[in-house]
Amino acid sequence: MKIKTEVLIIGGGATGVGISRDLALRGIPSVLIEKGDFASGASGRNHGLLHSGGRYAVSDSEAARECIAENKILRKIAPQCIEETGGLFISLPDEGLDYRERFLRACEKVGVQTTLLSRNQALELEPELNPNLLSAVKVPDGAIDPFALVLENAKDAEEHGAKITLHTEIISLILDGDRVKGVRVKDLLQGEEYAIEGSYVINATGAWANKILKLAGLHINMALSKGSMLITNQRLTQNVINRCRPPFDGDIVVPNHTVSILGTTSIRLEEIENYEVTPQEVSLLIQETSRMIPAIQEARFIRAYAGIRPLFQSEEKENDRAISRGFVLIDHGKRDGINNLITITGGKLMTYRLMAERASDLICQKMGTNVPCSTHLKPLPGATRPAGLKERFTQFSTDRADTLCDCELVPRKEVEESLEAETLKDFQDILRRTRLAKGTCQGGFCVYRFLGLLHDLRMVEGDSNKTLKGFLEERWKGIRPILWGAALKEEELIESIYKGIFNL
Amino acid sequence: MHYDLIIIGMGLSGLMAAKTAAKAGQKVLIIGKGMGSLCLFSNTIDVLGQIPKTMKMRDGLTQWIKDNPKHPYSKVDFDKIEEALSSFLSLFPPPYSFHAIDNMNCLLPTGVGTLRPTYLIPMTMVEGASLDRRNTLVVGFKGFKDFYARYVADQLQSRGITLSLSDTLPQEISATALARLMGEKSFREKIGREIKKQFHDETRVGFPAVLGMNDSVQVKEDLEEIIGAKVFEIPILPPSIPGKRIFDRFKEWLIRKGVSFLLGYSVARATLKGKRCEGIEVFHPPVSTTYAADRFILATGRFIGGGLKADREKVSESILNLPVYQPKLPEHWFERILFTDPPHPIHHAGILTDSSFQPVDERGDLILENLWVVGSILAHHHSIDEKSREGIEITTGYMGAKHALEK
Repeated sequence: MKIKTEVLIIGGGATGVGISRDLALRGIPSVLIEKGDFASGASGRNHGLLHSGGRYAVSDSEAARECIAENKILRKIAPQCIEETGGLFISLPDEGLDYRERFLRACEKVGVQTTLLSRNQALELEPELNPNLLSAVKVPDGAIDPFALVLENAKDAEEHGAKITLHTEIISLILDGDRVKGVRVKDLLQGEEYAIEGSYVINATGAWANKILKLAGLHINMALSKGSMLITNQRLTQNVINRCRPPFDGDIVVPNHTVSILGTTSIRLEEIENYEVTPQEVSLLIQETSRMIPAIQEARFIRAYAGIRPLFQSEEKENDRAISRGFVLIDHGKRDGINNLITITGGKLMTYRLMAERASDLICQKMGTNVPCSTHLKPLPGATRPAGLKERFTQFSTDRADTLCDCELVPRKEVEESLEAETLKDFQDILRRTRLAKGTCQGGFCVYRFLGLLHDLRMVEGDSNKTLKGFLEERWKGIRPILWGAALKEEELIESIYKGIFNL
Repeated sequence: MHYDLIIIGMGLSGLMAAKTAAKAGQKVLIIGKGMGSLCLFSNTIDVLGQIPKTMKMRDGLTQWIKDNPKHPYSKVDFDKIEEALSSFLSLFPPPYSFHAIDNMNCLLPTGVGTLRPTYLIPMTMVEGASLDRRNTLVVGFKGFKDFYARYVADQLQSRGITLSLSDTLPQEISATALARLMGEKSFREKIGREIKKQFHDETRVGFPAVLGMNDSVQVKEDLEEIIGAKVFEIPILPPSIPGKRIFDRFKEWLIRKGVSFLLGYSVARATLKGKRCEGIEVFHPPVSTTYAADRFILATGRFIGGGLKADREKVSESILNLPVYQPKLPEHWFERILFTDPPHPIHHAGILTDSSFQPVDERGDLILENLWVVGSILAHHHSIDEKSREGIEITTGYMGAKHALEK
């Protein structure tokens, strides 16, 4: 099998999928290759903050400007993926108000709208906040559902003729003089290997950028920074809560659907595989965020997870937080003499669309066409749909059918519908596309039921216990760092079921 | 109010201790905030699943006691384990009696179609112990989300059917509701006739373990008559209906014997005087009552039961703040892999006792003169992996009470 296309995109994160949509809207054919599912890297492993730009206003005005501009665009094109929570930057007594003054000035300069709130106003808005806070600054932060955002982009791209292939890994780049002629890939589910030829190749693999470049004998200077996060089992605040001080570990709490996400840490990694959340990171996150929201000390956590930020660096710097969170677009024609290869990396979820626009512009320039970008104007396909939660509750209360997941109220019918809509490729893919395994028990009950349903519907017949054990091991990675209190009780229950009653 | 013995905890070990003391004519109070892990996990009576398949339980246990000197079983010799199990069995005369097959573990099919070793099984599960896979039909119910017949059947290479009874069953039904419905003759006859229609002359029919609450042998026999094949129950996700049957039987017997049975309340604190426990304080909103006794038995279970609790630094005992044997640091509680062998170190944590189940400190000195600790809260067992939960509860509950009565 051999496939030919105009642009070959490597990487199914927000950037890659964003490029896929951008090119499709410009009428340029492309094929996107992703080795896992959508957003399996940093795009799906962040705190889901819709930045107002406030976080970077003081330290990096360019990044802050990009944020606020993209913030406004995303609210228009992807309202279904966004909750307009608002955000607060709170000043705590021991830090004083010096930073707040710089912050307010910087926000004004880059165009982030602010409202200064007194202690009482802030506490009225968010009663769980530290009662000793000095003041709070309100900014247009929000929460964004990264996975939904990537899916919506992919859907629109495909509707406009783009081709997207998941679970397919790049084995080698086919080099031909000053060009990459194409790639050899392997379908990880079927085992089949084949080649794809492209006139242009875009490396949009984020933290994995050097893995791809290595196949062409290239390397860029990039730091890998692990950021760890904790998820509580209920929503602690309605606004995004930030510390009003220079960005540091454990200074943000983002509400997300029914939970809150505590972030983050920043730890330099040498290797991209096998990273985990350490006990030290868990302690640090709880200690720091509970200074903003004291109830965090007593909160129940349902999961810990980490993502890797790809940080492009022009020179060695000790502190990763000092390296720009901005993105980098590399034309390997200019840099290395490989004319049809570009790499786009760095950046963050917030600027995925802008990154896609710039990468697509460069491709157009190389192609000698000048069709303009339109992704900032055209809403994503589901933009008219209201955001999920309220809808789900309404549906649940009117149509009380059997529920596979009691934590997140996922009815059997909804799962059956999503099974009909998608071709079942990978078990984890289906989980990601429903609310299954996202609640308090993290799939301890509903994944067994889901597998049962698959057998009931005759969609699988084989050894599902292997799948079940595999899922439980995967789940364990996120659970293990937060096992005390109620979560430990639940874990004893889960072990008693699967190792005990079921003898797995 | 003054008692000879107060038992804190209403799981299997507490119930066994209450039975033992009541039989000896003691004035007993048993208090529990719930029914313990009995109604979650105890479908059958595990004694020691982790021994070779063809080994007699006596030989397996004797070797185990030799190899694991700190294990709760090692504080009880084999004859006493047998005595305790007989005492348990005496509470379950036919029809709902428990059986060991050839004095060995037998293998019972589970809710994920694996086979699981266990020792004493109720009459309703006996036919599952000699499974003929190809001649077995597994039956599930649409709307009952905790059992999937085809999942089980596909693993066992048997046939599975899911009965859709939209006119009879509500859209969603729980194990408890289904068990109660099974107790109704007209309902189970309807189920039986429906199965008969889809029957391929299998020799055995497996159901989730919801065949009636307290008349399950009758339910089983009625179904067998209509279908024309042997019927058996398969243990499933919690809650455990077979566990509830055990609980109900204990409760009925204990109340009849005059035991004060206080279910649904937790002990707020204990009153200590020197090396003695004088009483316990129970909070019944809006008042609290103090109950006094000569002796006390702590049978509060592990984390789920609430006997042990863990914060981010350490594991502690909930009522008396007894010292808890545990791994040195929280980061050593769990291994990197969930399905590990040996099990996670935290499962080894618990209360250290002397050979008569009285709690001791690190130096081995007695902490309280009139307190005994029994059941899964004890240190040095891995009941989940060993498959020894009920055996430990029965034998330590029985022996703890015996020691308490002797002193």
